[in-house]
Amino acid sequence: MPCERAQQLEAYLDGELDAAAAAVVESHLETCGECRKAKSQIEALRTALREKATYHRADAKLRARIRASLDKETPRTNVLRFPGVRAMWAGAAGGAISTALAASLAFFLLMPAAGDPLITDITNAHLRSIASEHLIDVVSTDRHTVKPWLAAHADLSPPVADFSKQGFKLIGGRVDFLEGVRSAVTVYRHGAHIVNVFAWANYEEELPDFATRNGYHIVFWKSGNLTFCAISDTSIDDILALSRLLKGLSQTDARE
Amino acid sequence: MDDRRRRFEAQALPHLDAAINLARWLTRSHADADDVVQDAMMRAWRAFDGFRGGDIRPWLLTIVRNCWRTSMSERKRRGHVALPEENTQQPGDELTYAGPSPESAAMQSDAGRKLDAVIATLPDEFREVLILREMEDLSYREIATITDVPLGTVMSRLNRARAMLREKWLGEVESEASHAL
Repeated sequence: MPCERAQQLEAYLDGELDAAAAAVVESHLETCGECRKAKSQIEALRTALREKATYHRADAKLRARIRASLDKETPRTNVLRFPGVRAMWAGAAGGAISTALAASLAFFLLMPAAGDPLITDITNAHLRSIASEHLIDVVSTDRHTVKPWLAAHADLSPPVADFSKQGFKLIGGRVDFLEGVRSAVTVYRHGAHIVNVFAWANYEEELPDFATRNGYHIVFWKSGNLTFCAISDTSIDDILALSRLLKGLSQTDARE
Repeated sequence: MDDRRRRFEAQALPHLDAAINLARWLTRSHADADDVVQDAMMRAWRAFDGFRGGDIRPWLLTIVRNCWRTSMSERKRRGHVALPEENTQQPGDELTYAGPSPESAAMQSDAGRKLDAVIATLPDEFREVLILREMEDLSYREIATITDVPLGTVMSRLNRARAMLREKWLGEVESEASHAL
């Protein structure tokens, strides 16, 4: 016999209740075994849907097809104003990068790089990491593996932790280059989204708190001599939540 | 490239994965999903001046879902019956398919494939709310707008979708776990 509060429980787990209504559900959970069981099942389903079920992605063929249709509907004189970039990518395609990857990257890179070159670098590094599947050099959900690996390969030891409980699952780390400088990248999964967190040392330039490029949100912060940048296509609020968790961690690290 | 085109590429194209994911789950066919998304992106492009800012993803997904509905009614009118593909993967998919997650398509477990199959058997109106809520992390209000039903209907469909999944999938996983003991 399902509890009459079952639907309210779902609204609670979906983050749809205000604080007062959420408190009512929380105290109800303490006394209702039926709802506790339902809660753990819904959470297990959610994890499975986000981590085990297939999240389909657009392939290069579809991207090229849409681009061609857009070209047809864009006034001719304004299209293909960057032959150099196209030629460069066509050349790259013959080399190490597959044509499919080149097509999907060219799709983004054809847009003129405007604004801060660092933001362009970060956005491109993020896109590369997702498009090329070179997302992770060290695959691990354990901070005790990722942190020493980054220390050894990037000469940096940024704070690393698994925040699965808060919705950010640590999935690994890699080394990437921003403006030619080596940076340590920790990679988190948030729902279906990937968040790359870059860290690098001794960056003197002024940085904005946020930026948005190509629909990706970017959040910057500093801690000690390290500069951090988190980028993802998830909402800016989610990225800020992760940045707060990492800032808290920096303070704990400093005390240790 | 003119300014309108540049803005469209910068705002809409990062959500192409969300569009194709919804279309794949709605159509359960690689080729049909590509057609739906192609159609949807061109409609979005033509309607782009009417987009009033804010979060573009729900706006795009609304167009994707409308295109899917249109393609279904056209098929019915022409007498075609849409057959869901039993195994959502098609031969040749592995060549162009970018994978369920950036780690590796090959890593998708048996449990993942079974879960995919169970989701595919849910009726359309339950499958779509589940995908929008759990994979796209959209709010009830956004889902209500996209699927064009009242908020209460979103809640009851989501509740029903989860109940079906719990029964079909958790039941299977648990019985396997007890067999393994």
